[in-house]
Amino acid sequence: MKKIVLVLSVFSALSSFAQNKSVLITGGTAHLGNDSIIQNAVIGIKDGKINLVTTTVASNYDKNSYTEIIDATGKQIYPGFIAPNSTLGLTEIEAVRATNDFRETGVSLPNMRTLIAYNTDSKLIPTVRTNGILLAEITPRGGIISGTSSIVMLDGWNWEDAAYKADDGIHINWPRIVSRKLLDEDNLLWGPYEKNKEYNRQMTELKKLFDDAKAYNEAETKEETNLRLEALKGILDGSKTLFIHTNEVKEIVEAVNFVKQYQIKKAAIVGGKDSWMVTQLLKENNIAVVVARLHALPEHPEEDVDGPYKLPFLLQQAGVLYCLNNEGDMEAAGTRNLPFLAGTAAAYGLTKEQAVKAITLNTARILGIDKTTGSIETGKDATLFISTGDALDMRTNNVEKAFIKGKSIDLNNDQKELYLKYKNKYGLK
Amino acid sequence: MPFPFKILFLTASKRGVNTIDMKKIITLMFAVAVAMAARAQETFPVNGTTNKLHTVYAFANATIVVNADETLKEATLLIKDGIITEAGTHVKLPKGCVVYDLKGKTIYPGLIDAYTTYGVADAKPLPRTTAGPQMESNVKGAYGWNQAIRADADAYKLFMINGAAADEMRKLGFGAVLTFQKDGIVRGSGAVVALADAKENSLIIADRAAAMFSFDKGTSTQDYPSSLTGAIALLRQTYLDANWYKNDKTKKEYNISLDAFNSLQALPQIFETTDKFNALRADKIGDEFKVRYIIKGCGNEYQRLDELKATNCKFIIPLNFPSAFDVEDAYDAANVSMAELKHWEMAPVNAFALEKNYIPFAITTADLKDKKEFWKNLRKAIQYGLSEQQALKSLTTIPAEMLNVADKLGSIKSGMIANFIITSGNLFDEKTIIYENWVEGIPYKINDYNLIDLRGTYDFTYGSKTNLQLKIEGEIEKLKGTAVIDTVKTNVNITVSGNSVSISFTPKDANGTIRLSGNITTGTSKMTGKGQLPSGEWTDWSATLKTAFTNVVKKDSTKKQPEFGKVVYPFSAYGQPHPDDEGFFKDKIKEFKTRYDAVLIKHVTVWTNEAEGILKNQDVYITEGRIVRIADDINAPKMAYAKVIDGTGKHLTPGIIDEHSHIAISSGVNEGTQASSAEVRMGDVINSEDINIYRQLSGGVTTSQLLHGSANPIGGQSAIIKLRWGKAPEEMKFDKADGSIKFALGENVKQSNWGDFNTVRFPQSRMGVEQVYYDYFTRAKEYDAKQKAFATSSEKEKTAGSPFRRDLEMEAIAEILNKKRFITCHSYVQSEINMLMHVGDSLGFQVNTFTHILEGYKVADKMKERGIGASSFSDWWAYKMEVKDAIPYNASLLNQMGVVTAINSDDAEMGRRLNQEAAKAIKYGGMSEEDALKLVTLNPAKLLHLDKKVGSIKVGKDADVVLWSDNPLSVYAKVEKTIIDGIIYFDNEEDVKMRTDMQKERARIIQKMLDEKKGGAPVVKPVPKKQKLYKCDDLEKDYMQE
Repeated sequence: MKKIVLVLSVFSALSSFAQNKSVLITGGTAHLGNDSIIQNAVIGIKDGKINLVTTTVASNYDKNSYTEIIDATGKQIYPGFIAPNSTLGLTEIEAVRATNDFRETGVSLPNMRTLIAYNTDSKLIPTVRTNGILLAEITPRGGIISGTSSIVMLDGWNWEDAAYKADDGIHINWPRIVSRKLLDEDNLLWGPYEKNKEYNRQMTELKKLFDDAKAYNEAETKEETNLRLEALKGILDGSKTLFIHTNEVKEIVEAVNFVKQYQIKKAAIVGGKDSWMVTQLLKENNIAVVVARLHALPEHPEEDVDGPYKLPFLLQQAGVLYCLNNEGDMEAAGTRNLPFLAGTAAAYGLTKEQAVKAITLNTARILGIDKTTGSIETGKDATLFISTGDALDMRTNNVEKAFIKGKSIDLNNDQKELYLKYKNKYGLK
Repeated sequence: MPFPFKILFLTASKRGVNTIDMKKIITLMFAVAVAMAARAQETFPVNGTTNKLHTVYAFANATIVVNADETLKEATLLIKDGIITEAGTHVKLPKGCVVYDLKGKTIYPGLIDAYTTYGVADAKPLPRTTAGPQMESNVKGAYGWNQAIRADADAYKLFMINGAAADEMRKLGFGAVLTFQKDGIVRGSGAVVALADAKENSLIIADRAAAMFSFDKGTSTQDYPSSLTGAIALLRQTYLDANWYKNDKTKKEYNISLDAFNSLQALPQIFETTDKFNALRADKIGDEFKVRYIIKGCGNEYQRLDELKATNCKFIIPLNFPSAFDVEDAYDAANVSMAELKHWEMAPVNAFALEKNYIPFAITTADLKDKKEFWKNLRKAIQYGLSEQQALKSLTTIPAEMLNVADKLGSIKSGMIANFIITSGNLFDEKTIIYENWVEGIPYKINDYNLIDLRGTYDFTYGSKTNLQLKIEGEIEKLKGTAVIDTVKTNVNITVSGNSVSISFTPKDANGTIRLSGNITTGTSKMTGKGQLPSGEWTDWSATLKTAFTNVVKKDSTKKQPEFGKVVYPFSAYGQPHPDDEGFFKDKIKEFKTRYDAVLIKHVTVWTNEAEGILKNQDVYITEGRIVRIADDINAPKMAYAKVIDGTGKHLTPGIIDEHSHIAISSGVNEGTQASSAEVRMGDVINSEDINIYRQLSGGVTTSQLLHGSANPIGGQSAIIKLRWGKAPEEMKFDKADGSIKFALGENVKQSNWGDFNTVRFPQSRMGVEQVYYDYFTRAKEYDAKQKAFATSSEKEKTAGSPFRRDLEMEAIAEILNKKRFITCHSYVQSEINMLMHVGDSLGFQVNTFTHILEGYKVADKMKERGIGASSFSDWWAYKMEVKDAIPYNASLLNQMGVVTAINSDDAEMGRRLNQEAAKAIKYGGMSEEDALKLVTLNPAKLLHLDKKVGSIKVGKDADVVLWSDNPLSVYAKVEKTIIDGIIYFDNEEDVKMRTDMQKERARIIQKMLDEKKGGAPVVKPVPKKQKLYKCDDLEKDYMQE
């Protein structure tokens, strides 16, 4: 079994290396990711970039200048879906501690970098990109400042060449105003929610850290190098995004004020279950929301039964920039369900194109990579895929072909192999 | 008139600030002396000369409330030796008795609290001997196996007088209480004791007055039980074991606990509950073992009156009304649940609700944070409708009868214990003062009724000032005076103590305070004395009554019954009141307004799951809970409450059935403390108020199998429920469903992921798991044979020697062997699946369903061969080692192999998207849409043996159907109606309306809370509460802490 897997992955990597030719996709319905849709689309790929986006009725393009032509008639074309705030590649089997690399010990760890722990050979990754997810922001967990994330392409020999944008942002788990403790040594029993008595202390420390970082990075000479404070430089100068993880409304308000106080140029709330209550505040301060996993129960019994499902719609209506993510139980393996989160958002208020945007261009904007990816537009990376049906619906999501920067990627995975193996065993068709 | 005739009984005054200690000492000395007289301790040697008293005390001219039904005016009470000798209107005073004139005063029987721990110290937990699981009892000696069975605890042996606590209770008017040690599931016996300050020997009125029970294992450090369902099983098995023990003639086993348990049976049985549903659970146990418990309630009984009335149990209810929440901050207020808001408003109505429904109940001070709240809350309950007569009964005769001491306590009749209170009037009136509380003939002065009433208007003279007017008002005990001195109205402080009076005031033109002291001349309405002016000069003063005080009784307009909302069913968000709008006191549960006599859905696409497949543009007619007709065009029924739904463009499917769910379970899903917990039943702990029931309905789920967790190889018995939102737990159960039981394999049962300490409980490897099954099934087989032999043996054989011992655990496993109970087994990897199939082959049982079964595709042929079904996740994997090879093609492969395959949730969130999970089988493995829908409808119905009733849309089947806005397998499909038994339990239009109604109702109550806060009432800061959601491997230690 192991042998087969090995051979396959070598093969897939080789093939993706070789496939850097020019491609023309014709026919098909293209969901551009920017809220628009083209029927009978024609999309040209050259040198890893999209060099043509038009329709079959137009004739201003030269079929012959492409080495390969793909007929996508009756099919759907999407920009590669982007999974923000993901632990993909940082874990293999959640319950096996040895396979987990997403959490470092300590509280304030801005200089922990996920990129170097990202395992391009994780068995989970091929099962995720099979559903159309081609980019991911690999994010640390734990502590108050968990560390620095990076954006990767879900195909690559090693983390170096998988990196799309290294060290894109720093992640803060906003101190809880109310908290809950584990009561036993086995970490199985949760106590009741209580007011977090540590909140003021934690906030003082967080603010001091940012004050220190500001002073440190502005100082002309540095007496001693401080790796933590260096890591925060990008947040203060606007080259990195500050991702603040919180769901509670009071914490969101505090977080926004923090961003204002430290004049942080790029910030987003991750989670934001209560964000619909403070849309005006978020909009005024240009703070986006990486919306908590939609497939969740409402927080309170009296909340609207479909409360979580319609959160994107509420943010859309209010004009807040948002995108979708899948943090939570079994998050890494479940990243492959990101398209269906968007599908649910479409069932509960968004238009289908807005829902596509919520996992493509919106995400790219929030992650600061929208200049080169996130939509099917001339000049952007040719990171896109073809599905035989609506990719937001599990009933029809069926990815036939996918390109990352123009390279056609392997859509096989171990699970498909096991399926075929046992189909053969039983002699099934 | 003030200045009544008086007898000074106790010399110490209540007002004497500096003499408090002295007063206590005097009271105590006196009390002890009288106690000796009242209930003498013959066997005790005397130090000094004996002091035996047989004084007759007479209480004359009183209004005597004999009990709630009889009041005597101008009556006299005689007591002697702590016993009432006579009470009536024509009582002759014997010569040589102490007479108290109680004109204008009222005597009530001393109150009885049937639920206290007075004078009994809390149990101390035994030290734990291990950091890991504690499988056995830590109690040394010939006791039973479980630490939570404390049948041998007798309160009368543990009872020690507690002066401060007794004093507190006496001040409230109580004279006797039931007390017990509040620890464990079986808590031994409680005793009725008097609240006097005397030697314990004279205080115990009934030694073994009641047997005490609860569901809380208390200080027990033993792991079992770790859940409510385990606690119930433990109690049931204890009843069986005690009965066996009683009849066992061999007595090979001596068991103090069972012996004691048997000796408790003749007593009144009191069961403490912490929720209305726990009261129903207790009653169910009672029914099984022919015990009618007295239920110690928790204050929310009004939320389920009909079911509680049907128990025919008596209740003891607390008056622990919750404090208002601080809801000024709108964000904070969002954290207060609808149930909390409504309970805050309705808690004071509980007693009234019970009274209205003729449910007998006693009232207790138990559960009050501060006993001082008692009268305030009782009066509040009266304001909310409780009659004074009922209140009195609930504090006197009812508890006395409950505890079999009605011949001694609870009324004022000759021969009864002299427990009574003297009040200024109607006990329940806010202004009423309790003067004295006599306990076993020992008086305790609470307020001095001899205090002279100085109120009135006086001619007042001091120093050079004459003809001043002094007006004294206020309460007798707290006087307020004013005098006009040189045209200036001046406040005057007045303190009375006995016949002494002191007056002080500061006139405007004086340079300081004038202090006057003096004497009240009894009967003359005059005060005279001397005083000191600010200059230090002494002066005479006097005050002569001109006009006496007349008490102006204000008509209290606020006394009318306050408004409170309606009880909603369930008592939660998205609950609804009964349509007749009469709130809680209804005899019969009515159906919700969404109940129609008939439902007709027109022009709808019907996914039949039958040979007909998907039918377009059909009409489906539903009545009396069944699908009656499916045809092209059915005329609208002409019945009163018929609902016609236009199904154009919509889809109708059978209701979704979740084969693996842990919603709607109270207090623990796992009794994983032993390798087998076959004796526990999820059916005992159904929580019909879980909001997740409503949420599942919104996702089209109509039936769920509630499974025990997967912590042990042989788990507990499952319950299959229909999601009849608003009904009581028992009404949720799927009628006549086959019994089932949860088994589990792999990492959970061998405790692989439970941390470093859980290495004790067997098994720890897959090897051990197999042997658990061999062991239990072998024993169950032998047990079954023994039981069958015993059943057919003669009466003589049955009573000789050791009788057959019923074992609930073995019984459940034997049921599997007898094909009366069917296994759903949590499983992942092929080796263990194969193993259990082999164990079954060799021991003669068959697994019904492998659940999760993520490697089922590797052994599909073996499963098919044996006819075993599969209930799987769509695409979960990689969360632990044993799901490494899980593939989303599993369901599809199994289905292709002819295995009956379902997709389940094991998750309250996913449960409401099971249609989407089923649709993944189309994506992964290319299943047809019809087959995919069957994964969550017909196939689970087959696995649960319910496919004759549900799972397809067919004439004659249960009308459990779902109307969808779109193709039910599409991510864009939304549920519009979920219908169970022909009743619409989820309606998307109603849902939107309910949200608005709920916001209105919340706003109304929140406004009320804000008003209370303004009025100075204490408030509690709300904190978000998260509901416990159960998955297979959830464990709990404090299962009663929810």
